[in-house]
Parts: sequence; structure tokens; C-alpha cells
Amino acid sequence: MTKALSIQSITAHYGTTKVLEDLSLEVAEGELVSLLGASGCGKTTTLRLVAGFLQPTSGRIQLGGVDLTRLPAHRRDIGLVFQNYALFPHMSVADNVGFGLKQRGVAPAEKTKRVAAMLERVGLAHLASRLPGELSGGQKQRVALARALVIEPPLLMFDEPLSNLDAKLRVDMRVEIRQLQRANGTTSVYVTHDQEEAFSISDRVAIMHAGRIMQLDTPETLYQRPANAFVARFVGFENLIPMRVVERDGAKITAEAAGGVRLTLGLEQFGAIPDSFTLACRADGLVASPDLAMEGIPATLGLRTYLGRAYQYQCDTPAGPLLANGPLTRPLEMGGQAKLVPVPEQCTILAAETA
Amino acid sequence: MKRFSGWTLASPATLLVVVFLVLPVVATIVTTFMTPNGPLAPYLGFFGSGFRRTVLWRTIQVSFIVTAIALVIGFITAFVISRAPGWLKSILIIAAVFPLLTGVVVRSFAWLIILGKNGILNNFLVSTGLIGEPLTMLYTQGSVIVAMVYLFVPLMILTLVGVLESIPEDLIQASSSLGAKPWATFTQVILPLAVPGLIVGAVLVFTGSFTSYATPQLLGGEQVMMMGTLMYQQAMVTFDWVAASTIAAVMVVFTIAIVLVMTRVARRLNPMAV
Amino acid sequence: MTQKLHPALIGFTVLVFIFLIGPLIIVVGSALSDTTHLTFPPQGLSLRWFANIFEIAAFRRTIITSLQIAFLSTFIALLIGIPAAYALNRYRIQLPGWLATLFVLPVLVPELVLGFALLKNVAVQFNTPIFLTLVFGHSLLVLPYVVRVISASLASFDFSVEEAAISLGAPPLRTFFTILLPNVRSGVIAAFILAFITSINDVSISIFLTGPGISTLPIQLLAHMEQFFDPTVASVSVLLMVLTVGVMAIVERTLGLTFLAK
Repeated sequence: MTKALSIQSITAHYGTTKVLEDLSLEVAEGELVSLLGASGCGKTTTLRLVAGFLQPTSGRIQLGGVDLTRLPAHRRDIGLVFQNYALFPHMSVADNVGFGLKQRGVAPAEKTKRVAAMLERVGLAHLASRLPGELSGGQKQRVALARALVIEPPLLMFDEPLSNLDAKLRVDMRVEIRQLQRANGTTSVYVTHDQEEAFSISDRVAIMHAGRIMQLDTPETLYQRPANAFVARFVGFENLIPMRVVERDGAKITAEAAGGVRLTLGLEQFGAIPDSFTLACRADGLVASPDLAMEGIPATLGLRTYLGRAYQYQCDTPAGPLLANGPLTRPLEMGGQAKLVPVPEQCTILAAETA
Repeated sequence: MKRFSGWTLASPATLLVVVFLVLPVVATIVTTFMTPNGPLAPYLGFFGSGFRRTVLWRTIQVSFIVTAIALVIGFITAFVISRAPGWLKSILIIAAVFPLLTGVVVRSFAWLIILGKNGILNNFLVSTGLIGEPLTMLYTQGSVIVAMVYLFVPLMILTLVGVLESIPEDLIQASSSLGAKPWATFTQVILPLAVPGLIVGAVLVFTGSFTSYATPQLLGGEQVMMMGTLMYQQAMVTFDWVAASTIAAVMVVFTIAIVLVMTRVARRLNPMAV
Repeated sequence: MTQKLHPALIGFTVLVFIFLIGPLIIVVGSALSDTTHLTFPPQGLSLRWFANIFEIAAFRRTIITSLQIAFLSTFIALLIGIPAAYALNRYRIQLPGWLATLFVLPVLVPELVLGFALLKNVAVQFNTPIFLTLVFGHSLLVLPYVVRVISASLASFDFSVEEAAISLGAPPLRTFFTILLPNVRSGVIAAFILAFITSINDVSISIFLTGPGISTLPIQLLAHMEQFFDPTVASVSVLLMVLTVGVMAIVERTLGLTFLAK
């Protein structure tokens, strides 16, 4: 029933503007992969190419080993959930859900049964005869989901399905979507610009930028071990410190940043470290300590803000401006001196980039 | 002060419409009920005359045919325009607006040149040997219908392009993603959503045809008299102002009734309005 | 990129546009003919029928009358229609719903009826000069266009900008002229143009309010056609089309013509 999706070196243009460049993506059977990125990164274009609303300039799209690239949209058999639901305003909820079955020539009795069962599953059986205009946003989204699921598509695609809902409902709905998707085991592609949403719902996430996939990995890996500076910034690594190894000593190295700042890093913690690299950490991974004898980055403390779990300091250092956190037990004064000590478990190493 | 400023600003326009439209038109209609021969005499006279009944019936018939043809032509054309790429869409809309902004006299006159005894169409047909003698095309119901279709198609196109453009692209994509073939998407999604717009277009064209003057005057003449030309004749040729007022009253009632009924129907059929 | 249209649909559309534009091309061709009767394609090219327009006193007179009436009635309609449209948009809650309907009455009531009613109950009844009655009739005729177009441009206007100006100390009237009007400028231009062209082309109201003493260009055209079938009428038609093209160019410049499809 469910099938694997394979996108092979797709390039696409809007007029003369290149919007996707040599993009490849494999989604395994039953897997949910999110395409995550800011608007204009190419995530929606990718989805529309797979749906058949756009034609790629080059490359191939396969579903379960069958080439879809030149197939018209209505013959692709893909379930789609739209951002603004795209419910047919002139049809009742039941007719909306039954639309795809009707196109497939399913007998009326069978159709009614399957529509009723699907509405039951999304908890909307009591609204079957309503028009979409009479429903709330969350209900509309459930109808859209039911309409896409009832045709039992081998592939489901979601285009920012929750962005028109309020925050609380968004969290409830994404759990519901995940449960339905798991229960059916349907291969899914989920487009969103919301990082938390993507991370919470997906098996794997593709972070996209300028028409390319910057990194495709599990949410855990992306969050802790970004592969490059773009992804690191995207997932919230505030501090990116370019460094270069000055001394290698067995399991330890000493590296130097701008302004002659030196740090010692253990290889067992970071694995192999190239001669030139970027040390990346969030504010959480850089502790502001008043003990100037500790090894760390010397800093002048700037503005202090209260985060609830910690204090955060804007710091001025020889290696540039950095963001560090300090314990609540000991607030430090603005203008004071401190050492910023990296927490190895919360830091990661990025290979130097040419770009 | 703010409280009254809404009314203050709207009052000059309100005054103009009330003094120069509402009062004169109401007075015109009221006088038809105040003739010496009893309140309904002019209407009995109007509907009692075989000739006038024929004119009314012909006017309804012509308006119906014109509306039907304009609907079909307008809808198909508007559909193509709404799906055309941007630059072509602009050109086509300009090409539809141009005749609309050209006066009714000029546009009717064009058909006088085309359909005349020595007109372009006759000359062409005779020269190709398709017919031996020039046909009489002017001053027939057919010539009035053709010219009126010509008059109203641009209006229909522009009305429907607006309606079709307002149908979200998402719905069409949703339909095809659910497996609907293009024709099924057209009949099950686009057409039902365009119904309110079709009704608006139909009302505009029907009432326009029903009350037209210049086109039936030029292309129908005495032979194909319609309500508008009949009213003019009664008012300005025979100077029977009671009869003219009666026709005016029939026109107003007809027009307003159609507008009211059809907008109500349109509202009921409009799924977006819920 | 998008789905393709069936060739039959495209062919049909091409025919429709030939139907729409062809007759107007024929009128232009006939106007250029050197013959004394209307022919197409033109035989010999000549502009003599354009010169002929101005040799006929009735055309000279009615062109001037039509322009006067169009300018005056458009001006009146703008003067009272802009405040009305503003009131309808700004004070929607305090004004009754039927007010908006009142301003579309001139398109709802058949023009012929309006023309006849003005003749009977304004011109004759109160001895109102015909010219003045024509101006009032045309002001009414074009008022709905003004109210609608201005309302459309006000619909996208954020009235809090106006409140900002007032809070910064600008008096209401100055706010209107320095803040509101510049923001609906293109709407005013479009309204002017639409009103002007509607007035210039009007037959149904004017037909009752013209006579031996006074007439408008379209009515004079009708009268001329009933007596002569020479290319003069075609030449006048071409002049009117040139006016239309000019008008469309202005609308296109200010708003884009797709504005009219709304």
C-alpha cells in the first residue's frame, strides 16, 4: 500500500529564476520527513513538484519505483493537505471527504461507508452534513486530513497544515496527525517553517536553504550535531567561534581563536578535529564564571537578561561578541570581567567552510 | 460633531438621487394610477393591446436569447482568459474593455455597415457566389440579437473573469490531487463556484437588453420594435405620456423584480457567503 | 507550468475576439474611405470625412455640448460622490444599509425611465432648462461609478493613518486633503475617466432631453444616420474610439486595466 518516495537530482525554475538546484531526497516506506526552512527556500516548490502542479527542468520523481515525473497531477494518487485547507466551499463535509472516492468510481454505498468511518476516526461524524464555512479552523483541518487519508494514498503530503491555527491547537493537531500517520504507516512529506513542529513530528528533517537541502537527519542529530554553520545557526547555536589547532597532544588539542584566545579540547568528546574548524555552542553551552583562573574565553560582561532558568549575558570578548549563560545563584554585574567556559557536551565542531 | 459627519458627507449625493431620481421616477409611476379612467386603465390598455403585448413578448424573448448566448460565449472566454499567462491575460482584458468603453451608438453602427443590403456581409456572400441576391438582414430580430450579443459579451467576460479569478487555485489543485480529471474539476468545482457570478452577469445582460434603446432603434427600426423603442415612440412621437409612463412602470417593475429575485437566488447559491 | 487548455477552447476564444474587435476595425476602415457611401475595405484613402465633421454645424455644436455636459456632470459627481463614498466606508455602522443601495439606484433604474422621468417631472413640470436637466441626469448616471471606484480604493485604505495624522495635530479637513486624497488619487482618476466616458457615450437619458435647440453628440449621430449613410458617422466614431484609447492609456497608467475586471 504505502510506497517509498525518491526524488532524484531535481532542478526547477520559475521563469528564468532557479528555485531548486540538483535536489535529491529519499523517503522510506512509512517514514515522515519534514522539509524545514524559511519562505523561499524551495520547500513548497519541492512539494508542488511531487504533487504534479509544477514540472521540473530536469531530474526524476519516483514513487514505489514508478516514475511520476511526466504524470498529470490527477493521476498521481497522492494525498495532499493544504495550508488553507482548500475545502470545497459548496460541498458538505461528507461530500468533501467523499470527493476523491467519487473520482475513483467507488460505488455510492461503499463510499458512504468509508466516508463515515473516516469521519469517525477524525471525530467529526456529527458534522458530516455541515458546509466548510460553518466549521472552526481545527475542524476544517481535520476534514482536510480525512479527505486526503480516505483515498488511502501511498504518499501523504502536508503543506504548512497548521500555520493557520492558534498555538494550542497546533500542538494538539500535530500529535493527532502523527498518530494517524503512524497508524496508517503512510509515507509522508511535511512542509513547515516551524522548527519545533518539524522536530516533534518527524522521523527525519531536511533543513532547506536557497533551493538546496543543507542537512537531512533525525531531529536529535540536527539539534545536537549540526553539520554546517547554516544549520547550526538555524537550530539555535548562537556562538560560532572560528578556531585553528596550534598544538596536538595525544587525546587533547589546543586551539586558538581570534584575539589569541586559547582553549583545550578533548578528542574523546569531539572525535577527530581538523586543523581549522568552528566551535559551535548555544548560550547554554558557554558558562559565564567570575573565577578568572579557569580556562575559558576572557570576557567583559554586557547586558544581563533573566531567562527563568538562568541569566544570560551579552559578552564582549577578544574572539568577538558572544552569548553566555550564568547560574541564577550568582548574578554577575554588567561591566565586570568573567571567563566563558565551554561545556564540552553542549558544544560541537564544524569543519571550516569555504563559502 | 463626529456623530453627524457621516450624514453630512453623504447628504449632497443623497439629495441628488432623491430629488432627481427617486421623486421624478416615483411621480412618473404614480401618475399612471391616477388617470381619469380609473386606476388600472393604462395597464389594461397596455396589456389589452395585441401590438404592445407582442412588443413585450418580443423584448423578453430577445433579452433571453441574448443573455443565453452571452452567458455561453462569456463564460468560455472568461475561463480561457483566467487561465492565460499574465501578459496575454492583460492583452485579452484590454481587448474586452475597449469595446465596452466604446459607445453603444458606435458599436451598433458597426453592425449597420456589416449587415446592410450593400453591407460587407452581403457583398462578401454575393462575391463568393454563396448567394445570388443580397439578403435582408437589417431590421430583423436576428440583427438586433447579434448586435446586442456584441454589446453585452464584453460586460459578461469582465464580470466572469473577476469571478473565476477569485476561485482559489488551491481548490483546483486539491481537486486534481484527489484524482479529478480536468473535466470533472470543471463541472464539480469551478462551475458550481461560478454560479453566483453567472447569475450576476445574466442579470446585467438581461436588464440591459430589456431596457435598451439605441441598438433596437438602429438595427430593428419599426419592424422589430422593443420596449425601449416603443416607449420612446409613445413619449416623443405620439406624445402619449400616460402610455409612455405605463411602459416605464412595467420596465422598472420588471427590472427590480429580476434583480431582487436573482440576487436572492445568487446569495442562496453562494457557498462562500456562509 | 500550469495545466494546458484544450485547443478547441483557445480556437473559440480567438473567434470571440475577432467578433469583438473586427466590427470596430471595419468602422475605422470605412471612415478612411474616399467614397461618398460607406464601404469596407476602404476604396482610396482619405481624411476628408474627418474634415467633414467640422463642416457640419450640428456636429460642431453637439461635440461642444457633450464635452461641457461630461465635464460638468463628472465634476459634480466627484464633488458629492467622494464624500459619500468616504462616509459609506468610514461611518459604515452609523449609516443605514439602504444608503449604499440608494447610490446604485441610477444603474438599477433603467436609464430610459430616468430620462423620461426627468423630462416629464423636472424639465417640463418645473420649467427647468434642458441643459441643466441634462447635467443633473448625467451626474446621476455617473454617480454610481464614482462611489464604487472610490469605495474600492478606500477599502484598502487604513483609516488609522488618518487617526495618526489627527493625533499629530492635523485638523480634519487638512487631513482629508493631505492624507486621504493622495492615497485614493488613482481611484479619483479612474472614477473621473469612467464617469466622463459614460457621460460622453450616453444615449438613453439624453434621447429624451434633446430637441431642436440642444443635442448631444451620440443623439446627433443617431439623427445623422437616419438621413445620410456617408462615412461622416464612421469618422465621428473613430474620433470617439481615439478618445477611448486615450482614456484606456490613462487608466492603464494609473491603475492597470485589470482593475476594471473587478
